[in-house]
Amino acid sequence: MNRKLIYIFITSFFISLNIQAQENDTLKVKEKYGLRLGIDLSKPINALLDKNISGFEIQGDFRVYKNYYIAAELGYDDKTTDEDYLNFTTQGSYIKVGVNYNAYKNWKGMNNEVFVGVRYGLGFFSQTLNSYTPNVSGTYFIPATTEPNTKFENLTAQWAEFIFGIKVETLKNFYLGASVSLKSIINTKEPENFKNLYIPGFNRVYLNNTGVGFNYTLSYLIPLFKK
Amino acid sequence: MKKYVIALIVLLAIFGCEKDDICIEANTPNLIIRFYDAANPTQLKQVTNMYVWALNKDSIYQNVALDSIVIPLDINANTTTYFISSDLGEDEIELNYTKKDIFVSRSCGYKTIFENLQVANNTVNWINSISINNSTIEDESKAHLHIYH
Repeated sequence: MNRKLIYIFITSFFISLNIQAQENDTLKVKEKYGLRLGIDLSKPINALLDKNISGFEIQGDFRVYKNYYIAAELGYDDKTTDEDYLNFTTQGSYIKVGVNYNAYKNWKGMNNEVFVGVRYGLGFFSQTLNSYTPNVSGTYFIPATTEPNTKFENLTAQWAEFIFGIKVETLKNFYLGASVSLKSIINTKEPENFKNLYIPGFNRVYLNNTGVGFNYTLSYLIPLFKK
Repeated sequence: MKKYVIALIVLLAIFGCEKDDICIEANTPNLIIRFYDAANPTQLKQVTNMYVWALNKDSIYQNVALDSIVIPLDINANTTTYFISSDLGEDEIELNYTKKDIFVSRSCGYKTIFENLQVANNTVNWINSISINNSTIEDESKAHLHIYH
């Protein structure tokens, strides 16, 4: 009995050594590093579905170290928002810069990502108050809709974003991605007697100055080097 | 992977609620009138068998006995003419004011407040006198107009 156990112990020891030797043997696959450029697919799709929306966004990221990427987005939004008592148009551009961290452990040779990221966003825009109807309860005197067409220019906003998303290499060097971002305004220059209810790049401003974004991206990796 | 999906659903649930979709703030304020005893000006006095209506409009109050009324001002003009009748007759009050639209919120939009409230003209059949208590109508917390009768 004892002899049998010792025998098993010794053989298993050799087997495990053997496995370790194999692991050491596998060749190191070099991973691609490079500049990845892309566009946000949701913007042109939204523009087709809703005539009150137009805009574009280009994106870029660059792998700087292992699973870390520096990333930036640059875009333009033109959106007319219709609320119960008012209608306004927001026009302007924005830039976001930050870092992504790829938390996904790829099999050798694969280049997919499940990433988290942070961004600093900066928007320059104008708001045009197209029309509004004063809010009156009751129907004794029915208010007329006024069309002031007041344009508030040189407005700005700064915000922080937390991003969660995936990127999948579907064809060689082509990536399809989807992400969700949660945003919070750091500061904003508000129009007089109005409010920034929509900010380019930030989207709808919710209560407590928070926002949310959904992106669908198509991007292409320009491989620069491997290591 | 599973935990990422759960985290995503939780975050969407939190941000999915649109609290600012329902207007809960105060909108355009109404004019508040209180009726006082002309003989004893600090004492409220009811108007009996009262009817209240604006020029060319239906009655807001019909055959009521009250010591205060809440009535809207015409938001499309700078003047509103009201008629108040009691047992003792009918009086006409013409009110002038300026308007100012103030942004409230996404769901409420703008409200109108009224400034420089003045009694431009009034008849004195059952009314003794009218005084302006508050010439700016920006809320409904207190009376704007006192009528003595």
